Parts: sequence; structure tokens; C-alpha cells
Amino acid sequence: MMPMQRCLIVSFTVMLAACGGGSGDSAPSTPPAPSAPAATLSAAAQLGQKIFNDSSLSASGRQSCASCHAPDHAFGPTNDLSAQLGGANLDVQGFRAVPSLRYLGQTPAFFFASDGTPTGGFNRDGRAQTLAEQAERPFLAAHEMANGSKQAAVDKLKQAAYIEQFRALFGAAITDNADQAFSRMTFAVQAFEQEAPEFHPFDSKYDQFVAGKVKLNEAELRGLALFNNPQKGNCAACHPNARGADGSPPLFTDFTFDNLGLPRNKRLAATADPTYFDLGLCGPDRTDLAASHPELCGAFKVPTLRNVATRKVFFHNGAFTNLKDALGFYVRRDTNPEEWYPAGADGTIQKFNDLPLQYRKNVNTEEVPYNRKPGMAPALSAAEIDDLIQFLGTLTDGYQNP
Amino acid sequence: MILTKKLMAAALGATFLAAPLAASASEAELLARMEKMSAELEQLKAELKASMQKTNELEKRQQDMATAAAPAAPAVTLPTPVVASVEPSHTGPVTILSGYGEINYNRPTKDASAAQADIRRAVIAIEHRFDEKTKMVSEFEWEHGVVSASDQGESEIEQLYIEREFGGGLRGKVGLFLIPSGLLNTNHEPTAYYGVERNFVETAIIPSTWREVGVGLSGDTDAGLTWDVGVTTGFDLGKWDATSTEGRDSPLGSIHQEGQFAKSRDLAVHGALNWRGIPGLLLGGSIFSGKAGHNTEGFAANDARITLYDLHARYTPGLWDLSALYARGQISNTEALNDTFVGSPTPVPKSFDGWYTQAAYQLLKSGDYTLSPFVRYEQFNTAKSYAFVPQGLGVAPTPDEKVTTVGANLKVGEGVVLKADYQKFKEDKSRDRLNLGMGFAY
Repeated sequence: MMPMQRCLIVSFTVMLAACGGGSGDSAPSTPPAPSAPAATLSAAAQLGQKIFNDSSLSASGRQSCASCHAPDHAFGPTNDLSAQLGGANLDVQGFRAVPSLRYLGQTPAFFFASDGTPTGGFNRDGRAQTLAEQAERPFLAAHEMANGSKQAAVDKLKQAAYIEQFRALFGAAITDNADQAFSRMTFAVQAFEQEAPEFHPFDSKYDQFVAGKVKLNEAELRGLALFNNPQKGNCAACHPNARGADGSPPLFTDFTFDNLGLPRNKRLAATADPTYFDLGLCGPDRTDLAASHPELCGAFKVPTLRNVATRKVFFHNGAFTNLKDALGFYVRRDTNPEEWYPAGADGTIQKFNDLPLQYRKNVNTEEVPYNRKPGMAPALSAAEIDDLIQFLGTLTDGYQNP
Repeated sequence: MILTKKLMAAALGATFLAAPLAASASEAELLARMEKMSAELEQLKAELKASMQKTNELEKRQQDMATAAAPAAPAVTLPTPVVASVEPSHTGPVTILSGYGEINYNRPTKDASAAQADIRRAVIAIEHRFDEKTKMVSEFEWEHGVVSASDQGESEIEQLYIEREFGGGLRGKVGLFLIPSGLLNTNHEPTAYYGVERNFVETAIIPSTWREVGVGLSGDTDAGLTWDVGVTTGFDLGKWDATSTEGRDSPLGSIHQEGQFAKSRDLAVHGALNWRGIPGLLLGGSIFSGKAGHNTEGFAANDARITLYDLHARYTPGLWDLSALYARGQISNTEALNDTFVGSPTPVPKSFDGWYTQAAYQLLKSGDYTLSPFVRYEQFNTAKSYAFVPQGLGVAPTPDEKVTTVGANLKVGEGVVLKADYQKFKEDKSRDRLNLGMGFAY
């Protein structure tokens, strides 16, 4: 039984990988088409695709998953808003910057590694165990699609053009039970995100470079060297960029969490309340670790860096709107804190001011490039940051070899 | 310091040259005869052991039968004992159990806090002779004391092959077997080499204990020449980890496959020649070559070829035991792969090599105690050169490490050895260390 199943999976994967060529005689050198014909998706995934793009499932009637996770922006946001707007009138601001949904398929459910390192999970705090669980919140949350209840979401689904297809797959009576129908909705969305090749195309310039098919230009190669160098960028320590021993392409995340001590972002309306702090693993959204693991308060998931150059907003609180500032923050946070944090009434710099005082010691100040003090040289110069940006540009999907 | 090194090298060289002269022709003949006799003795011992095992088995079986028969005495229909059918036969199957092991203690002289004692290995070997011409050879090994998901020990199968003799000195084997490279790889029991630790050249350059899955053919000629050829699995360059130091410690040791789901799209070939035409003298060399990319989708070094060769000599005139070895490895077509590793500490080297020379002398023999002091000088480099990378992005080749080892083996009988030595490193002086070890082989 097992070999047969494996065989089916393999042939299915091959089908996915070969989705571009319907004619069967396409040249093997042609990169896979960026989007798959629906025929290669399972029935659940096809439904998931429709649900993903259906704005009628929101309170405003104008917001779908794709509104914030735009397919043509690597399933990330199209603008530089620190957090997107939602609600019935699309005027309620959220709390965190929207991440890309690409390359999440191999993320493990949250766990503590044997050395105690928190690892995996979905959402920036890792609290959702699966993509399906992750997909629940946006349908319900007041600052997103704002259905308020599963029943309300399912009531809208019942009006959808594809509802009979939904019932045909999950049972004629499925919509009679809102909880079950809602879980089938998120299951379908998960199937779409897992199966559709556009969520994991692995067709960046970097992918073709590690396959030996293209060369990086000099600036990109210098950037890669800085990315790898444990004494310079040391980026690869958390964003691994080497193929796995089994030949799997790199995901540019080790699925761990880090506390970067970002500056407080006034563009987030929630920060008007001086007692509001987003502590990642310690809440407010996630509630299971705050008491038992105070040392994790302020840590957020390490995201993939694939397609990072297409983004206009960076980090969990959207504190930066361009890559140069984001990288500058990494290397100058400790050497030149005055560039990033405000001064207090007494003139002292309020370093790590987006964390309550008792958690500021949790910020990572040990690893390169954070292991610096004022007066020391930053780990990267301005020219080196430019090279690194050039390299990060090679992680953008859809590279066409000129 | 340099002067002492030079002196030492000169002395070693002189010993090498002088020793053959000291051994007269008649001595050589005597030595030859002794060597032959000792080989015959070994064979006899093995046969005796096997036959004793058989006798014991037989006796036990007879006893068992007798005790089983006792309560059933009235039953006259008892079958007669089947002794006749298991009568010892020289052509029948024989199973021989043997083994070896070693426990070592290392104490870095500049950092005693790093001192360690380790059950380096415990090995059980089972050889089964199906008939006069066919045998199975296996070795099962545990390293570092404890093997579990949370421990660092390893449990491994080091050899598992069938060998068949075809007559005329020709034999073939199939399975997992040792590659006939260097002096130590096929002869790696602790009683067979000097020093607590195996020498660096034959661990860092030749990745002892190095085995592959495949087929091999060997033969002997009357002129004292032994040859080996074979086709086997090779290395998997896809396993290279540019962020770890493993590839710096032993480039090939970090990408060997050890018969574990070994990628086999690219097979490797090897050949070895060893000449024992003059008694006490062994001259030999070997070469191993194979591609290491296995046509892996999306891999930048599918054309990479790994080639390793060595030249070795061992001479045992009188009480001396002298040896010398040179080994060099090359990995070709790594430019595109190393581009992806820029900035990482351990790119793939283009070449790595090393050599050593060693002299041991049987100083004392009293009863079954034999004390043999030795000195070994070795020079090796696991990253001698790298393929081209744009200026400023590469890693500088490392200088040759030079290690002098001085110590002694104290043999107790033929199967037990106690060892002590001191190792001095030229480049990384923090590695200077004192080593103590016990080993056995039976």
C-alpha cells in the first residue's frame, strides 16, 4: 500500500512541477508557468481558490484574502501600510503588517526544539498550528473581513456562486452546521495554498543560480558573501539559504523566533495607548506562553526572505517602509541607536521602546550583527548594504533569464 | 624548533635508507620464511578455533540429547543420535567470531578542561565460511559509548560483503567493503597501527574507515603483486555543508555515504596495486575516482568529480617498522557551487593532500610484552586550494598543518595493546595533546 501511495504522491508532484506543459513536448528549459491551470488542483483546492478570491465573504463585501495577500505581490500586501484596513467600512486598522503567504507549506506546527528554541507555527506569533487554522481569523476579526461569527461567514458562503460545488464535495447538509461548514472553508483555502504552484514557484534568480543555470552579477555575489559571512551580515544564521542535504531548495527561514527590539511605530493606531504592546509569543493574541516563558516576550517569527524586495512594509509592526532602512536598522541599531529611537524627557535614547521595560533585556544583542555598542563600526557599511539589497533582489520569484 | 624538525625528518630519512642496507640477503630470506610461517600459523589458529567451536557444539548437542533421552528411557523407539550427519568436515560451513575495540584519553596540554575519555569503538566481526571458496565478512561497530537519539554515539555496519575465490589467486567480492586505499583503511584494528589516534593523513585526506557498496575483483601474482579493481558507490557532494567545520576536518569524511541510501546515479571506480616481492617490504598505490553530483535536479555541481590517490611504502627490516605515505584528493568543477557558498567559512576545496613518515622500533621484548617506541611526522592540508571565485569573495587556502607524534605501543601478547603518545601541532598549537589508549583485537 505504501509504495503505491508514495508513487501517487510522486506522480502528483511531478504533475504539479510540470504544470506548464500541457502539450507534452515543451522544452525542459522553460521555467514553470507562474500560475497553474485549475485542472491540476484537487476539488478542495479549486474551491479554496474561489474562496480565497471571494470578497463577498467579507462584511464590507469588498475584501477577500487576496486583497491583502495579492497574488501579483507574492501573496503579500501591495502598499506600505503598517497594517491593512478592514471592517464593514474598510476603515478599521489592524495590528500587524501582512506577511507573504508564499513558501509556508513546509512550516511545521509550533514546537519547542530539544534545546528549548521555539519553532514553527503560523501567524507572526506561531499560534496557529496549520494553514487552515491560520485562515480562520481573517474571516472573523473586526479589523479584517469582520464576519464576527462563523455563522455569518457561512451565511455569505451560501450565497456564493460555487455553493453547490461546495456541497457536492463536503456533503449536501454541510452548510446546516456553521462550525463544520466554516472548517471546510478554511480546509479548502489550505488545500489551495498547499497545492497551487504559485505559492511555491522556486523560480527566483537565486534558485537558478544554486542550480548552476545563471550567474549572479558582481554586486549580487558580494551581497551573498555578506549574507553568508558570520562576521558581517550573518543573515544565513536565521534565514538559511543553502539547499537541504536532501536537495530541497532553501526557504530562507529556520522557523524560529527572534526579538529584534524594533522601534515603536506611531503609524499603528493601537500604539496611541501607552500601555499597548505587541509581545508576539507573549500576546496579546497568543496567550499560552506569557506566564511560563517571559524570556520569549517580544519575539516574532523569522519570515522567509523570498520576495522580500517586492515588499513595501517590513517587520511585524511595519516600522520600516523600505529595505534599506530595514537593513540599516539591523546593523546600526546598537552602534547608532539615536537614528532609530526617540529621546526621552531627560535626553536619553529610548532603545527598544516598543517593549515594556522588563522585557527589553529579551532583545537579541548577542549575535552578529547586533553585538555592537555606540562608537563601534556597524557590521555593514552603506555600500555593503547596497550590495546586500542587490542580492536580496535575486530572491524575487519569476526570474526570466535574459 | 624548525631545526629540530629538519633534523627529525633527516633522521627518519636516514633510517629509511640505512635500514635496507643493514638487512643482509640471508636475513631477508629468513624474514621471508618467518613471515610465511606466521601467516600459516594464523591460518592454523583460525582453523583450530573453528574446529574447537564445532567440537564444543557437538558435545553440547550430544549432552542435550542425552539429558533429553534420560527421562524417556523406556521409549526404545528413540531415534539414534544424528551425530554422523554433523561430523566435522573441512569443507563444511565455519563461523568465526572476532572483534576489536579501543578506549582513548586525550588531554590538550594547553587546555586541560578539554580532556576527554571516549570509548572510541567496539566492533564485533562475524565471518562465515560457507565452503572453501565462499565467505561472508561483516563488521558491526559502535562508537562513542552510547547510541540514542539524544547522544552522539554511532552504530554502523562497517563491512558486509561476500567473497568468492575463483582459483589462481583471483577473488571477487560484492557488498559493502573497504576501499583498498593507503595502509590503514583496510588494516584499522588498534593493534595494527602506532599511536593512540589514527594518523591525520589517513583520516582527514583518506576518510578511514572508508567503505563503499559495490563489486570488486582482486588477484595475486607469483611476483608478489596484489591488485584490486572495483566499481562502487562514491561520494555525495550535495551533502556539503559550507557553514560547518566538518568539511574542513575531513573533506571526504563529510560527504561519504557509508551505504546509507547511497546516491548511485554516478558510480566510482578504484584500483590498487601492492607489491610484496621483497620480504618485509610493501610498496603500493591506489586511485579512486567518481562523479559526485548524481545528476541532482537543481544542483550546481553535477559535473564535479572526486579523485583520490595515494602512494605508500612499509618496510619491516629486523626490529624496525618504517612506513611512509602520500595522499592527494581533488574535487573538480566546483566553481558554480562555491559561488553559492561565498562568505561561508567552508567552501568546497579543489585539492587537499598530506603525507607522513613513521619509524617504530621494537625496543624491548620480555615474555609476551613488546615495547615499540615510534615517531611520526605528518603534514596535511584539507583545503590546499579552491576553485576560482571573484576577488575578495573567496576563502584563503589554509597552510599545511604539521604534526609530530612521539610515543610507544606496549603490546601484551598479540591481541592487546597499551599506547601513549604526545602530539605537537605546528599551525594550531592549541591542539597539542597527550594521548593514552588501550586497544585489543581478537
